Amino acid sequence: MQEISSTRRGTVIYLLVWLFLGCALGGVIALASDAPLANAMLFAIPMNLLYAFAAGYSAYYLCRAYPLGGRKAAAIALVLTVAALVSGFLWLMAGRLWNGVCQLLGVSWSGIVLTPPLSSLIVGLGILLYGFAAAVHYLVIEFVRAKNAEQRELESLLMAQEAELRMLRTQIDPHFLFNSLNSISALTSQDPKAARRMTLELASFFRQSLGMEAHKKVTLGEEMALIRHFLAIEQVRFGERLRVEEAIGDEAAACLVPPMIIQPLVENAVKHGICNMPEGGTIRVTARRSGSMLHIRVDNPVDADMRPGSSEGSGIGLANVRQRLSGAYKHEASIHWGHADNSFGVDIAMPAQTGEQGE
Amino acid sequence: MRIIIVDDEMLARGVVREYLAEHADAEVVAECANGFEAVKAITELAPDLVFLDIQMPKLDGFEVAELAGSRTRYVFATAFDQYAIKAFEFHALDYLLKPFSQQRFDQALAHARANMAKGVGDAAVENMVREAAGRNKPLGRVLIRDGARVHVINADKIEHIEAQDDYVQIRSEGKSYLKNQRMAELEGQLDGEQFLRIHRSYIVNIAFVDRIEQATKDSHVAVLKDGGRIPISRSGYQKIRAYGLARWP
Repeated sequence: MQEISSTRRGTVIYLLVWLFLGCALGGVIALASDAPLANAMLFAIPMNLLYAFAAGYSAYYLCRAYPLGGRKAAAIALVLTVAALVSGFLWLMAGRLWNGVCQLLGVSWSGIVLTPPLSSLIVGLGILLYGFAAAVHYLVIEFVRAKNAEQRELESLLMAQEAELRMLRTQIDPHFLFNSLNSISALTSQDPKAARRMTLELASFFRQSLGMEAHKKVTLGEEMALIRHFLAIEQVRFGERLRVEEAIGDEAAACLVPPMIIQPLVENAVKHGICNMPEGGTIRVTARRSGSMLHIRVDNPVDADMRPGSSEGSGIGLANVRQRLSGAYKHEASIHWGHADNSFGVDIAMPAQTGEQGE
Repeated sequence: MRIIIVDDEMLARGVVREYLAEHADAEVVAECANGFEAVKAITELAPDLVFLDIQMPKLDGFEVAELAGSRTRYVFATAFDQYAIKAFEFHALDYLLKPFSQQRFDQALAHARANMAKGVGDAAVENMVREAAGRNKPLGRVLIRDGARVHVINADKIEHIEAQDDYVQIRSEGKSYLKNQRMAELEGQLDGEQFLRIHRSYIVNIAFVDRIEQATKDSHVAVLKDGGRIPISRSGYQKIRAYGLARWP
């Protein structure tokens, strides 16, 4: 019953259904016996409202005590049949009592004649309605259970995301780390100031990425700051070969995004794009807000000789981003990627959220 | 000692140059930023020693060593390529892990110098590059050195391959290329779904076969899209029929 009566709308609907059944019973009584409609209604409607609570609660507790699939179906059927029979007869007794009270009033619009056929009709109806109530309860219980299961699944997905982000942060691409260290090692004698700048960029990159939490979204502006540190480091390695174009609208920069959702895409663009091109190329990051959606695109040139399938590593990173997006936004977010001519592009669309919307 | 430094990163080349400055007899004859330049320089300049980075665009270090041959000695370098490190260890080749110290560099140089003095031919490099080529099966592209030039041929664009003594002749987009490789080895590296060996001396790309014709009473030829005709052996005919090309009688 808690499931139904927990919301006002549920309670109202439940009572309306019983009110309707009461009217129906009243109508049947008026038609079947010679009782006037008013008398029949006065008898039937309170009877049904009483049964709404009595049979409703009793059936609910029985349904809870004998969950479907828990015990043998035969035992459940037996228990429910006995309960339905008992409550049917109790309902009839309550009906006699109520009719007695009605007749005591001694007014013409009150009280009906309870003939044996009518009595058996009430018992039969009581049994049927009890069964109906039990069926509704089983349905509701199943529904709630399914919803809870979904909820739990969602929670565990969130936890998995947290773990995944932690892994992303700590499992920095070793190529990136060792190549950066090699660049610093080279710069210490060739250009000590540049070596210091590079260590500072590395420190900023690690500090910011290690400070991110999976459930706390960051603004696109903050994510871009992280990406700029990353690109500054790679720029030292690749020099002229790595060029970056950025077009982030102010409105887009204020939107919230899951942390480290774009950085892996830029990292891929360097690793599978620029890295394979002797003459290098330009990585483009664009973001714009259009209405309630935020569109982000990362594209990079790829070498003409590299076949699309040959960089199998990129698929894992993209799948990871897709999974995290769907974890955060369900079907509201989408990610697509593909080759066109000699470039590779990733498109993300997600709901545009800003801080004011109470994230 | 004449040395070539190959690395796509300028800073990384700088480190090697700096460390080499400590060795009076070392002369850097070329610095290459990519694999094509490297193959050209190694072929033309025939250096004593090459410092060769593994991770490079277009051609990686393994491919450079494969194309430039093993007449010269190599010291390989990588930042973090687990496969490469395993391969170097297995074949007992000289290698450096970036970043490396002057001391470690000097060791590698001394080791290479000692081997050079012994005049040990480097079969290990050949074995390793063959193994590395086998790792990328099926082969997506075939590399061919033509003098100091390197041709990269997409496997999809290879029409057919003909065995010629110790060489294979590869036909692609109206041109023929000679590659110093054994037919069976190349056959093993190519995608078996796409390339069929229809004759002792011929491999054909299924996509370029137009039809099969009866040549004599019990022999067939494959007619290519460009009109070329390639003989089919009896076992080759079984193969191409088994491939399920029902449209070919």
